[in-house]
Amino acid sequence: MKRSLIWWVICGAVLASLPIFTSTGTLRIFIFANFLAIFAMSWDILSGYTGYISFGHPFLIGIAGYTTAILTRHLGTPLYISMPFAILLTMVAGTLFFFPALRIRGTYFALVTLAFMEVTYHLLKIVKPAVTGGTRGLTGLPFVVTGAVPNYYLSLFVMLTVGIGLWVLAKSSIGTVLSAIRMDEGAVKSAGLNPTKFKLFAFTVSAMVAGIGGSFYTHYLGSISPRAMFDITFLFTILVAALVGGEHTIVGPILGAYFLTFLLEYLRPYIPGAWRFLLYSVIALVVYNFAPKGIYSIFQGLFDWVGRRMRRGEQYG
Amino acid sequence: MSGIIIQSIVISGFYALIAIGFTMIFSVGRVLNLAYGVYIMLGGYVYYTVVQLAHLPKTVGFLCAILSGVIFAVITYVGLVRRLQNNPIAVEISTLILAVAMQAVMILIFTPAPRSIWPLIPGVAHLFGVSVLKNLLVAMIISWVVLVSLLIFVRKTRVGRAIRAVSMDRKGALVSGIDPNRINLVTWGLSGALGSIAGVFFATYTQLDPAMWVGPLITAVAVVIVGGIGSIMGSLVAAHIIGFLETITTTLITPQLRGVFTLLLIIIILVILPKGLFGREEI
Amino acid sequence: MSNMGSLLELRNLTKTFGRLVALSDLSLTVQRGETLGLIGPNGSGKTTTFNLIMRELKQDEGEIFFEGKEITKYPIQERVKMGIARTYQIPRPFAEMTVAENIRVGIMPDKIISVMTMNIRDGLEREIGKSVGFKQHELSMYPSELSMGSLRRLELGRNMATNPKLLLLDEVFAGLTVGEIAELSELLKEKKKEGLTFIIVSHDLRSLGPLVDRVIVVSFGEVVAEGSFEEVIADEKVKEAYLGKEEDSHLELHK
Repeated sequence: MKRSLIWWVICGAVLASLPIFTSTGTLRIFIFANFLAIFAMSWDILSGYTGYISFGHPFLIGIAGYTTAILTRHLGTPLYISMPFAILLTMVAGTLFFFPALRIRGTYFALVTLAFMEVTYHLLKIVKPAVTGGTRGLTGLPFVVTGAVPNYYLSLFVMLTVGIGLWVLAKSSIGTVLSAIRMDEGAVKSAGLNPTKFKLFAFTVSAMVAGIGGSFYTHYLGSISPRAMFDITFLFTILVAALVGGEHTIVGPILGAYFLTFLLEYLRPYIPGAWRFLLYSVIALVVYNFAPKGIYSIFQGLFDWVGRRMRRGEQYG
Repeated sequence: MSGIIIQSIVISGFYALIAIGFTMIFSVGRVLNLAYGVYIMLGGYVYYTVVQLAHLPKTVGFLCAILSGVIFAVITYVGLVRRLQNNPIAVEISTLILAVAMQAVMILIFTPAPRSIWPLIPGVAHLFGVSVLKNLLVAMIISWVVLVSLLIFVRKTRVGRAIRAVSMDRKGALVSGIDPNRINLVTWGLSGALGSIAGVFFATYTQLDPAMWVGPLITAVAVVIVGGIGSIMGSLVAAHIIGFLETITTTLITPQLRGVFTLLLIIIILVILPKGLFGREEI
Repeated sequence: MSNMGSLLELRNLTKTFGRLVALSDLSLTVQRGETLGLIGPNGSGKTTTFNLIMRELKQDEGEIFFEGKEITKYPIQERVKMGIARTYQIPRPFAEMTVAENIRVGIMPDKIISVMTMNIRDGLEREIGKSVGFKQHELSMYPSELSMGSLRRLELGRNMATNPKLLLLDEVFAGLTVGEIAELSELLKEKKKEGLTFIIVSHDLRSLGPLVDRVIVVSFGEVVAEGSFEEVIADEKVKEAYLGKEEDSHLELHK
């Protein structure tokens, strides 16, 4: 455990020193990667671990975003009130709508979450457009900090805090139980544990992180719209980031988010819109089916290999 | 009032068709095929291409649409789902990714702009003093024909009964000499056919749009949850409940709130009656 | 109120699946510390009985008493916490976890805070693992690397971690080598000496015989014989149940 914490510190230090030698443009890419990482991690702690695939994370993120947007834009609420409130509301609303499905089975849960996202998208376009901004959404939202570098550090800070927090949680026995639920929920019951309790816990944590990400992201962009939030594209990006990075690892989604974001940026000038999507889908499908443990496992394999070589070197050296 | 009733009945028949293709795979294969909406999308786009772009007769368009659905479904089953049989989570995710991929393909071929298709039969009919789109009426009639045929097929033919057997008890069916793989193949092919037929109607009723695979999928999901698994009767009843609910909402309140009460209904059912109205078991 | 002193009592249990009657008015009692054998031909309702005791299924009629308390309303995990545990015909280990981790899941209390802050003595998993016969190096193996005998032992270990009073063993000898059966029998005898109560379902009558104090025979969901192993084996009705009457050898569906 301690050895792994060192890795967090090293990576954190490396990432923190980035602004010294990268341009503002590149920093903004990293900012986006950090937020995607937060979303992907929030997905992973629930869906990666318990196997209850959620297609509703855009919904949760969107609730947080819209709540804080509406509060700050129309009521002038200060950020330090609107954001925590948004996070709380996300947790409450998420539980209210998704818990009935969560306590039954993964398939129901997946379906319900998908349905919610779709309906909310259409709903937001027409319900009280004066408040929600309708199809165009809301703009002119307050920023937490301004400028690329401060925002970079903010996003990095939030991402690392969330990351370490979730990672510690997942490494604890909670992670073991959640994974057990994924492997065989019935056997978990016959081991004397109530899966619903743990699923609810994972969901609440996941919703909280989604809320945190959604609030900060909205106040980084300074705007919000139905298309940005409740979109299959958004869902897809989060899912692929988590899957390609490595499910049920917490670190994997971070790697996946960075990978996907930079792939996006790199390909942008060469490959037009829809082709990129086709490419992601194919990559996602291939990776998911043939290398299901994702980028994370590749890294792990590498470290193991290096470790073994070093030890062998010591033996004969 | 009678307007609402007629509208509801017409829509519901059509919803039932959409839902049946989806439930079949669920009951028999026990997997969630999130790419089901793609059959609907393919049905619509292929019909459009054949009829409006290539100017071939409508029947040809219909047949091509059905064929495209069947082929795509079978390829999905053989290439993807069959390999992931023991991992329902992987199937869920993979079929979703597939659906998004197909959406991208449609965008590439047809551009993201929505397109309108000429109705199968233009004009409006007057039923009991209510005006109903002839197109929709045809959709309903054909839906019922298909559904009844399906019911007969499942009850009377050997393959149909084999499908029911596998849906009730896979191991038992195996022991009785039924090959679940072959049955799955047939079921997926059927699902593809049903979906693409529904797709042609759906496209003429609304619009062609690369994102059109989501809406019907949600409707199918709602029908499954409300009606219960493994019961065609349940799907029919649920389709009508949802059809009525939506028509009442759109007529009396506002058209854009259409899906909301359906969603609420889903939650209520999940809390009170998780098996659905006619379900044999929780999925 | 149930029979004082009995650990488990099933009273008039009935369970049907559609038109198939799996259990029909079945009653039995298990005393503390005894090992009961539950035998009968395929489809006679043995596994269904286990499913009902564990609440993996709910009975249509009848009551279940454990330690004098009626437990029908309690879900699976509550019954496990009360002290009932079972193994499965086809073992259900957590596939991506080691033996030790599997046992750990059994140790865990059903409270989030406790699980989060839990500092299980690393030794506890090892102790339990060893107590069911695992060697040190086997504890870090994965289910895919284990023999059937070890898989059954894994389930047993996971069960023992829940501190059971009553253990339901479903076809626990199936798929084992002769050596593994002998090992397992020794283990069960040991646990019996420690006071554990067992209900064992098995087709392997030869292995079952030396372990049981009493045997109940079910056929078509009903009890057809009860007594010591020797008595029951010699019983005509039992032979009939297994081999079927001459004239009447196919399934008869009631109702």
